[in-house]
Amino acid sequence: MTERTTPAASGGSLWFEAWLRFRRNRLAMIGLVMVITVILVAVLATWISPYDPLKQLIWTEGKAVRLASPSAKHWFGTDLYGRDILSRIIFGARISLQIGIFATLVSLVIGIPLGALAGYVGKWVDDLISWLVNVVFAFPFLLFVLAVVAVFKDPSLVVVYIAIGMVNWVSIARVVRAQFISLREREFVEAARALGMPSWRIIFVHILPNALAPVIVQATLGMGSIIMIEAGLAFLGFGAQPPTPSWGLMISEGQKYLGQGQWWWAIFPGLAIMYTVLAFNFLGDGLRDALDVRLKR
Amino acid sequence: MKREMKVFLLFLLTFGVLCMAGAAFAEDPVYGGILRWREINDPPKLDPAQATDTVSSRAIYLMFDSLVENDSDGKGVLPALAESWEGSEGGTVWTFKLRKGVRFHKECLGESTANGGREVTAQDWKYTFERMVRDNSPRAYFIEMIEGYQDFVSRDETGATEWSGIKVLDDYTLQFKLTYSFAPFVSVLAYNSFMVIPREDAEKWGKEFNFHPVGTGPFMLERWDHDQKVVLKKNPDYWRKDDKGNALPYLDGVELVVIPDNTIAYEEFKKGNLDAFQDFPDEFYVEAKATYGPLFQERPWVGTYYYGFNNSKEPFKGNRALRQAVNYAVDRERISDLVIEGRYPAGKGVLPPGMPGFNPDLKGYSYDPDKAKALLKEAGYPNGFECELQVNNNPRHKAVAEAIQAQLMELGIKLNIKVVDWGVHLDMCERAETQMFRMGWVVDYLDPDNFLYVLLHSSNHGSKGNYSFYSNPEVDALLAEARVETNWDKRIELYRKAEQLIVEDAPWVFLFHYSTSLLGQKWVKNMHLPAMGDYSTPLYNVWVTKK
Amino acid sequence: MFTYFLRKLLYTIPVLWGVVTVVFILMAVVPGDPARIMMGQRGDPATLARIRADLGLDLPLHRQYTKFLGELLRGDLGTSYRSNEKVSVALSVRFGATLRLAFWAMVLASVLGVTAGIVSAVKQYSVFDYSAMFLAISGVSAPVFWVGLLLLLAFAYNLHWIPGVGYGDGQAIYLILPVLTLGVRPAALIARLTRSCMLEVLSQDYIRTARAKGLAEKIVVIKHALKNALIPVVTIIGTQVAELLSGAVLTETIFAWPGIGRLAVEALVARDFPMIRGTVIFMALIFLVTNLVVDLSYGFIDPRVRFE
Repeated sequence: MTERTTPAASGGSLWFEAWLRFRRNRLAMIGLVMVITVILVAVLATWISPYDPLKQLIWTEGKAVRLASPSAKHWFGTDLYGRDILSRIIFGARISLQIGIFATLVSLVIGIPLGALAGYVGKWVDDLISWLVNVVFAFPFLLFVLAVVAVFKDPSLVVVYIAIGMVNWVSIARVVRAQFISLREREFVEAARALGMPSWRIIFVHILPNALAPVIVQATLGMGSIIMIEAGLAFLGFGAQPPTPSWGLMISEGQKYLGQGQWWWAIFPGLAIMYTVLAFNFLGDGLRDALDVRLKR
Repeated sequence: MKREMKVFLLFLLTFGVLCMAGAAFAEDPVYGGILRWREINDPPKLDPAQATDTVSSRAIYLMFDSLVENDSDGKGVLPALAESWEGSEGGTVWTFKLRKGVRFHKECLGESTANGGREVTAQDWKYTFERMVRDNSPRAYFIEMIEGYQDFVSRDETGATEWSGIKVLDDYTLQFKLTYSFAPFVSVLAYNSFMVIPREDAEKWGKEFNFHPVGTGPFMLERWDHDQKVVLKKNPDYWRKDDKGNALPYLDGVELVVIPDNTIAYEEFKKGNLDAFQDFPDEFYVEAKATYGPLFQERPWVGTYYYGFNNSKEPFKGNRALRQAVNYAVDRERISDLVIEGRYPAGKGVLPPGMPGFNPDLKGYSYDPDKAKALLKEAGYPNGFECELQVNNNPRHKAVAEAIQAQLMELGIKLNIKVVDWGVHLDMCERAETQMFRMGWVVDYLDPDNFLYVLLHSSNHGSKGNYSFYSNPEVDALLAEARVETNWDKRIELYRKAEQLIVEDAPWVFLFHYSTSLLGQKWVKNMHLPAMGDYSTPLYNVWVTKK
Repeated sequence: MFTYFLRKLLYTIPVLWGVVTVVFILMAVVPGDPARIMMGQRGDPATLARIRADLGLDLPLHRQYTKFLGELLRGDLGTSYRSNEKVSVALSVRFGATLRLAFWAMVLASVLGVTAGIVSAVKQYSVFDYSAMFLAISGVSAPVFWVGLLLLLAFAYNLHWIPGVGYGDGQAIYLILPVLTLGVRPAALIARLTRSCMLEVLSQDYIRTARAKGLAEKIVVIKHALKNALIPVVTIIGTQVAELLSGAVLTETIFAWPGIGRLAVEALVARDFPMIRGTVIFMALIFLVTNLVVDLSYGFIDPRVRFE
């Protein structure tokens, strides 16, 4: 028997059907377009941003460009140092996406093997991993990330995504585990086992591809919350270091000028966060409907 | 004609004086009223022995008294609970005559105190100092030169039952015997940890004394709603009287209102819900100064803001040209002007203005990129270098760091800012694990020793104050000599010599000196911002006219 | 049912132990010495060592751990390094504030969310439906702290309707903005869920039957559809309560609300170990208990649910 008989192989058309369903979903398409724009902005930042995001104009142009309100020259205004806020937001997309992608990768790297192990092996392995998952869940999320970030002496973006990944993997593990439990008793797995295939092969070649859809949905939806968590961390002064144009950091720096009428420093980066998170949420919801996945939130 | 003019002028003068007298008459103190004072966070400690922060100190200054206190213009110390004192035997024995009739608070949190409002005697002072050692007060070591300190600290081994160098001669005479002559000794005693405490209450509450503080100050604790406010009420038995012999304080009470957000605090102030707003934020500085005029008090604060180099590690170790280059590369005036509203004057050296011994003629560093470039070349880094700057997490420090980062970039010096929590910052600085770090130093006691010896003597490497691990034997010798010298003029000369050497060595980037500020409502009278900082503003002689 | 409950209850013990241990380990490896922070900027090494000994920080880690566990089992959460407050006292005081905030946020979110969800479902594809759902999805996507700042900017700084941040003397007016801020996310989630559940129920046969019988639309919606649609909604309200209680960190920070979330962040910055442990354990306990209650409530709301 070849692998052709497993549903994974015939998955080609399955994915295609999903794509058709996805295309019919208007919100999902909007989400996709929005995500693509964010990615484009991040990739093309160097070319499309009107100014250098780190260039402090006050030293050459004086107080006139300090906290200047939005104008034709600076669409989103400038900050205390005369840095162009629009340019900083454009470059900030890189930071947010970078955090989102790498933190998700860390979550997947931890979450998939552990979830698979728990779901496939069961018994005490499952008990142990499930216990770990429950422990992390019981922890207040933001506090846990804060504490993990605090443990590292050198704050940096790498620390942030490792910390988020170390907490966020549990939601991936949960999804993978549930999939494995439901799939491990299915005929094609039984058959593979009867043929004497090694466990790792069964896990990676036969079950995992079939468990992928919910993982993709969970990871996409997770991107939004990761970006939000990063912003929250930066807002509290953890993680991204000045002068990095992190959106959360910009809000926290601009916050104190809100009451003085200089609202643009803190408000525009917030809109950028909202746009990006919204994009991933639309996309995630659309994928969920298209792939027909039911997730326990 | 001339005569007439004279008469006329005389008349004008007399009239003017009369008017002023009249005005002063109208300004007679009024009893009653509550003063609402803004605080940025809840005071962590109300036990003077344990407090190390300014918010706690604000409350402590209102509730407790020390033997001597700082003159409000920073010109030395004045009598407080001690009426007089004298040094003898080459400055190693100090005898204090205590004021009679000073009583402890009768009440705390609405209940009678254990001491019952009895008089303060010399025994209380001995108890207070010994308690500091017993409770591991972080500030007890400030007076480690009093004989028997070490014995009493390690009393478990030595069996010492008392701090032998502190002697009660009679109820109103207290004597300290020092192991060596320490010129600033009396100034140190004005520090806000050395405040008298009644034994009865301290023993009744133990560590909980922090929540049941009892002192001799003008106000006593009435209520403490954590994170909201500390309510203090008038101590009716306060020892101080005004010039006319009237009882003090005039106020019925003080509320320290905790408002973490500056914008909201300023809103509250504008509405008249706050009477005093100290350490005024930069965001509203221009507006407030224009609106409130003389009600906005600001003056130099006896403190220095600097970036320390780690002098014990590459690249700064042994590379004076490099350290000087960075000093020349920073445009202090413009940073102050553009980033912090020009509120911090540029610093030339270590000692801040207002500190005795401050040298106005000191030639420090000013912005000179060409010189910086030349020095960089001399230092072996013609194209600049990369280096890490560690800053503790605080908006103003981050703001200044970002500006300096941009300026150094012009010369190819790439500064990587690393923001860490205060605790981590201290740890890493004192273990010499940083390359460059931000630090500030504000006076503990009004003596150059508190800056030069503490921050730059090689015996203080690490946690004791010399975070930059600077050492220069010549400077060490000068500072040690100044410490025991009793002639004031000779001491100043020694300190100036030492400071000049330090500035040439450039162990720091000398940046700014602090300023302190206090905004009061127009109905708050007689509130004067002291040189020692807003948090020590006396309120016992402040009154409020009806709002 | 009872054994199920008991098993669930017993299971919280190892989970709680896990939380306790993880927080202990994190605090053991975190840089920054609490004794050092207590000393202030300047301190002599000898006093530092004595303070450390006094706090028990000089003991080997395993001894610290067993001591901590022992005290915990006796119900002693220790004393704050920073303020000398008993951790249990501090928690009980601050939890009152957090609970007050979370309760009203949940009330607001439930009322707003359920109403909007029902109306959206009944008037599917109407302008109301579109705008409500747009608001809802934006509400899920906006960072909480930024929403808080927007509200502050509008109602406190510009319109001056509301005094701003802080707890005041507990007046209700101080509650409005934080409750709005904290309530946005759950309101949005609840609205979306209510809408989709209602739509599912409304398309079912018995509803069509009821309509066919000529019952007024109002009665159909309220008496027949709502009851069944609300089952998942109630459970999400339950889980959101737990999330709110522990997730109030940012809201409390912005509005200077004296609750446990802010307490926890401040304690972390000050390396106030007993206080950090206390807040985390407490929050985890709340999370576990709420989840247990939600689990059980399935059985009461939905008779179809059978407990294993």
